Amino acid sequence: MNSLNKKLVIAFFFIFMLGSFGFYVIDKAAKSRIDNIGFVGKVPSFSLTNIDGKIITEKNLNDKISIISFIFTQCEGACPIMSVNMATLQERFSSSKDIQFLSITTDPDFDTLDVLNQYSTNYSKNDNWFFLRGDILDVINLSEQGFFLSAALLPAGHSTRFVLVDKELNIRKYYEGTVESNIFELQSDIVTLLNQG
Amino acid sequence: MTNKLFFRSALISTILSYLLIFVGGLVRVSGSGLGCPDWPKCFGRWIPPTSLEQIPAHIDPTAFNIVLAWIEYGNRMLGVIVGISILLMTAIAIIYFRNNSKIFYSSLLSLFLVIANGGLGAIVVSSILNPFIVSLHMILALFLVSTLSYLTIESYKLFNDAKFTNIHLSKKISLSLICLWIFIFVEILLGTGIRTNIELIAVDNPLLSKGELLDALNSYKYLHSILGFSLLFFSMYLCFLFKDDFFGLSKLLVFFIFGMIIFQIFLGELMIFFDLPQLVRLFHTWGSSWLVGIIIILYNTLHYEQSK
Repeated sequence: MNSLNKKLVIAFFFIFMLGSFGFYVIDKAAKSRIDNIGFVGKVPSFSLTNIDGKIITEKNLNDKISIISFIFTQCEGACPIMSVNMATLQERFSSSKDIQFLSITTDPDFDTLDVLNQYSTNYSKNDNWFFLRGDILDVINLSEQGFFLSAALLPAGHSTRFVLVDKELNIRKYYEGTVESNIFELQSDIVTLLNQG
Repeated sequence: MTNKLFFRSALISTILSYLLIFVGGLVRVSGSGLGCPDWPKCFGRWIPPTSLEQIPAHIDPTAFNIVLAWIEYGNRMLGVIVGISILLMTAIAIIYFRNNSKIFYSSLLSLFLVIANGGLGAIVVSSILNPFIVSLHMILALFLVSTLSYLTIESYKLFNDAKFTNIHLSKKISLSLICLWIFIFVEILLGTGIRTNIELIAVDNPLLSKGELLDALNSYKYLHSILGFSLLFFSMYLCFLFKDDFFGLSKLLVFFIFGMIIFQIFLGELMIFFDLPQLVRLFHTWGSSWLVGIIIILYNTLHYEQSK
């Protein structure tokens, strides 16, 4: 074998090794994405009223990927950003029937169903986004004990995180609802969960 | 002696830079670009964290994924190694080649390019992978390997004078090669344009499959294919131009360019018919960077003869 052929063989071997390495890394990255959407716990039982008067319980979360937030309509800081971000997600996933959104008010005294209804028209373009109201003590309990999110000094002290819940009612992961990169992350995690079936 | 020393440092810098482009492409196709949300550290650490507890309180741990963090950090570490190797090469140029303006200024240019592209890497991360900035990051890398390829062949010529005396060169060949380089560069820009558009569409339409994303692109995507096939004929023409040239290296390089273009078209078709498999995308991108460097090497083996 002359020296050029020898070099070519080495080069091809090297490129083949690089390709295998690339394949391994790509595969590993794809698997890590699934593993990275953890398990936080089970969604507790709850019962809240939607703006159309319907009672929504944890059973409505069955067979749907749900994204949950805590907001109140008079909030001027985080909530508008959170709701805009949720509206963006609603629009981007509008062709899927497997995704729904829940926003729970932390100020049920002010946020009557009418007020919430008015608020919802600013953001929601579809009927897969529930705006929910319940007794303040139930909401605190749901936030703190159910979703492990702080709920001190309500209404303003509510968490600004989005909760991702899978079709089997498992709380999978939290995302900062006001941070663009987190929303990006949430979006790709939803796609990962959807592709998993 | 110093000639050989510089040639070796240029060659090593070039090879490492090509590896860096491969690893950079790997970051891109595996979607690890945000594996480390901060820069230059990774989750506030010089060595990426291995568990959630190691992440400092002020950094949001939502995106923490140890695999993606290490892929991204591998790119940065290799970037640092490339930077050091170019720094050493430039130091040799400053010490021994101040009077050789080609080598001196090209070394400085490559040092500037590698530092600039490292800095641009920070912007890539802080822009949350803005597709235009990501493309610019790759284009700067192409300029870097072009400069390094130029330095490698120029320094090789310093001590291999005898090997370059038999080349027949015409203006036609010289001009054709310049055109080929420019067309390949345009072709790469069109390719990055396709990828950018796919990503922009994918952000707003996360439910579309890769095939549907390709369909959603406007007719501009065909430009890339049309120019690709034109380049195939162009490189055939170049092979024809070199048929009377019996010097081994340049002829070999011309056939290599022709083969690479066929291979690139093959990979491109694979991507269309098999929904953009990641590994194929990686080699399609990497192959394009090879073409850019090889044409520069070929051109400068000829250019040498012309100036004699």
